[in-house]
Amino acid sequence: MQLDLKTVEALAPDQASLGAAAKLTKRSNWPRLEAHEQLPLIWGECQGSGSNPYRVAFDTSDHGYKCTCPSRKFPCKHILALAWIGATASDSFARVDQTPDWVNDWLGRRRKPSQSPTPAAASSEGKSIDEATRPEESAPVVDAAAAERREAAQRKRAEDTRSAVSAALDELDQWIADQLRLGLAGFVDASSERCRRIAARLVDLKATALAGRIDELPAKLMALRGEERPDAAIRELGKLVLLAKAWRAAPDDAELKRLVSTSETREQILANPDAVQVESDWEVLGEKIETRRDGLVSHATWLLDLKSTTPRFAVLLDFFPASAGRRSGAFAAGDRFRARLAFYPSRYPLRALVAERLGDVAPGAWPAFAPDAAGDPLAAYAAFQDGAPWLSDCPIILPAGAIALDEKDGAWWQAASDPHGIALPVAGSVNQTLLGIDLAATAALWNGARLELLASQSSIGRLDLS
Amino acid sequence: MNELDQAGLARLRDGWISGGAAFELAPAEWKEVAAAASPDERERRLLAIAGQALDVALRPAAPKILRRRPPLPVLALPMLPERLRPLLRAALKYAADARLKTRVAALVASRGFVTHPMDWMPAASDQSGPEVYAPWVDWQAGADGERQSRREHLTAATWDDFYPAARRSALIDLRRSAPALARTLIETKGASEPAEVRLAFIELMRFGLGADDVPFLKSLSADRSGKVREMAGRLLARLGEHGSPASGGSEDPIAELAAFIEEGKSGFIRRRTTYAPIKPKSQAQQARRADLFATCYLGDLVARFGKTEVDFIGAWQFGVDDGADLFLVRMVSVSGGDAAVASLADLLAAAGGRLAILGLQLTARLDSGRKRVLISQILHDAQNLAALNMVEGAEAGWLEWGDLAKGKTLSTLRSAVSGDNDVTKRNAEQYLEAIGFLANSVTAEKLIDEVVAAGLPPASSSLSLLRLNAALTENPSKSDR
Repeated sequence: MQLDLKTVEALAPDQASLGAAAKLTKRSNWPRLEAHEQLPLIWGECQGSGSNPYRVAFDTSDHGYKCTCPSRKFPCKHILALAWIGATASDSFARVDQTPDWVNDWLGRRRKPSQSPTPAAASSEGKSIDEATRPEESAPVVDAAAAERREAAQRKRAEDTRSAVSAALDELDQWIADQLRLGLAGFVDASSERCRRIAARLVDLKATALAGRIDELPAKLMALRGEERPDAAIRELGKLVLLAKAWRAAPDDAELKRLVSTSETREQILANPDAVQVESDWEVLGEKIETRRDGLVSHATWLLDLKSTTPRFAVLLDFFPASAGRRSGAFAAGDRFRARLAFYPSRYPLRALVAERLGDVAPGAWPAFAPDAAGDPLAAYAAFQDGAPWLSDCPIILPAGAIALDEKDGAWWQAASDPHGIALPVAGSVNQTLLGIDLAATAALWNGARLELLASQSSIGRLDLS
Repeated sequence: MNELDQAGLARLRDGWISGGAAFELAPAEWKEVAAAASPDERERRLLAIAGQALDVALRPAAPKILRRRPPLPVLALPMLPERLRPLLRAALKYAADARLKTRVAALVASRGFVTHPMDWMPAASDQSGPEVYAPWVDWQAGADGERQSRREHLTAATWDDFYPAARRSALIDLRRSAPALARTLIETKGASEPAEVRLAFIELMRFGLGADDVPFLKSLSADRSGKVREMAGRLLARLGEHGSPASGGSEDPIAELAAFIEEGKSGFIRRRTTYAPIKPKSQAQQARRADLFATCYLGDLVARFGKTEVDFIGAWQFGVDDGADLFLVRMVSVSGGDAAVASLADLLAAAGGRLAILGLQLTARLDSGRKRVLISQILHDAQNLAALNMVEGAEAGWLEWGDLAKGKTLSTLRSAVSGDNDVTKRNAEQYLEAIGFLANSVTAEKLIDEVVAAGLPPASSSLSLLRLNAALTENPSKSDR
């Protein structure tokens, strides 16, 4: 490893990046740090602000780099921190002779520079490692009155936000009543424009999360057949009514605040005693990546708890700007790992973040979850709706079944035990090969109208369906 | 939800779809919950109840008829072990088109495995993939599982139990083991088939083609399909049965073609006859010559010069006109006898260089040994390694490290990957893909080491097929299936 701090300094786009990188050089931020025995390569996983750790790789010979974070600074603070650790604490890296697949992917795609970099290639002007590592000047001692004023200001801001959100929900209520008065047939046809307008109003009134949800409603409706859209509109608008009522009843409830206005930070979740932490073996069932109308990409990674006796799921949810381009995920479908997840406090905890990753787990079959006593594959969905009737997508494990086609070539999941009874429609099109494979168990998201298949177990192994 | 509630929900739904207050349409119990509020609030409360009812109490009604496909047939070979699937997927991803993807499947089949169906499936029209996939080809084409899963011998009685791909595969086997039986089946069962199917059957006669097939092939001269007649004529020509349908008469194409070839003499002591192409004088002549080479049969042409096929090929002056050389090789491939094909392949392989590459036109008719000699020669010369990607019917996984190390290929690859020329590098990546198919696992592993040492990134996707090939060595244990 031939790295020195001068190189890190020269690579940094600005002093602020160096400062941010300095804070990330703590070993605790890096659950994984590895260096190749023969190749000039170091890589690691850095626990950033997202639910997944960022994957960072650095070529110490030509200073090429790759990070999965959405930063628009190149290189980002994670790259700088990795190089920094490489320059100052190379013993922190475990020596290995194999590169992980995600590093391989990057190596396979990248084009090496025609010349080796020289220290002069990047300028260190205006940036200083010394300055970045200088301890922050201690804050001036403030008097008690100032502290009280600051707390009062915070309380006022919180009160203002609550008033604004309350006003937003009043407007939402009125808007919903208007849609019913004008007719849902017209609403479905003009949903794009109407939803955009109320969403913009909700953003103004600080109900940001709710605005994002309403913005996505037209796309959800359009994904359905014409005759299904009014029902879908009734379901979603009904959920919004319930959410608004629930918030009014408990405006400080963490889950409801998250669904209406803003979410907690990673640090807040990790520090929150109400956030359940579960250490277990997890399998990545699949991913759901959607570009939203507000310009963000939502990247959901669905996990299955392999140690639980009943199906338990988690979703790692990240958002990043669509303009930042395609971003490789931290996990691939089928990956298995041991980790401690911290769940966002909720009536039906699903959203989580990786608090600590503890190593990989060998591949294998899913646990044999006991079927619902009544044989209803949607029993879990009913329980989910009891706990959180304002939510839509519920992960479920379906029993043995197969995929069949209706007369319009729409795909349906059909229970093996009751080929003339339970059948659920599948969203989108399916790989035709799937029609010939008996599914021993299937993980999917059910939203009340469609199944989104994530993965299956079958006689020919695990099937990635997301 | 009871029927009254359901009826009430339907009324509410209809009311909201058209617009206006729907409170009075709601079921009585719902009205109680929603009452004592403003008109707008009553509607919202009903909306929340209706939404939940739709979500939980009602489910999409399954259509009365749902079509299930028959189970995907189990193939005769085991599925690739799970741990090798990422390598397979990487190799398939790198393969640019369906033909190259099929080649990846052929490599896997050569090591005694089949792909996972979610990774690769042959198309319904696939006829070039490994025969082990025939049941999947039929499944793709819509066959039901019961019939095709039978493993009976193909006879007139079992003919209808086989779906097209499985039948094709069985006919090929039968032509190799009992050609007369297969011919009888083609003769009796093919007659009632449409021209396209008849043509496919007649094309299979090339397997185990022999003198006994002549009467049947001659009988096809009266077939109503021109394509069938043409195919039968070519097969007859391969058996030394001369007489193109167009030969003779005032506009004799054989005579016209012969006029493009000059007979000469060479050697001072032992004078021997030579045949060299005459340079066409115009584009039109050039096109006409190409056309004549494509439609005339070799046997008729050499008869015109009073030579045997083998003698004529031995006397041909290669290198005078590259275009004519190519046309002649194609002509031999299409209508030459087996001896002529073997003789020409030996000649071209011995000549090496550009002529050996020309020999790839013959691979569909060469035995395994001659194919390997030809490919080894091309690898030795390293003049146009990309041509190896075009080889038809090449076998997978036989190339020894010694064959590769003694020629120029290795040094060509090393200099390409270590150099700065992007075009050369891209070409080298194509060569690696071609060798990835031909090499045995030891060769694949050593080649990866060589090119990585020369500067190719170890994770380069161009190594995908080589990596799969090298990893497939562990297959015989079959312990982790």
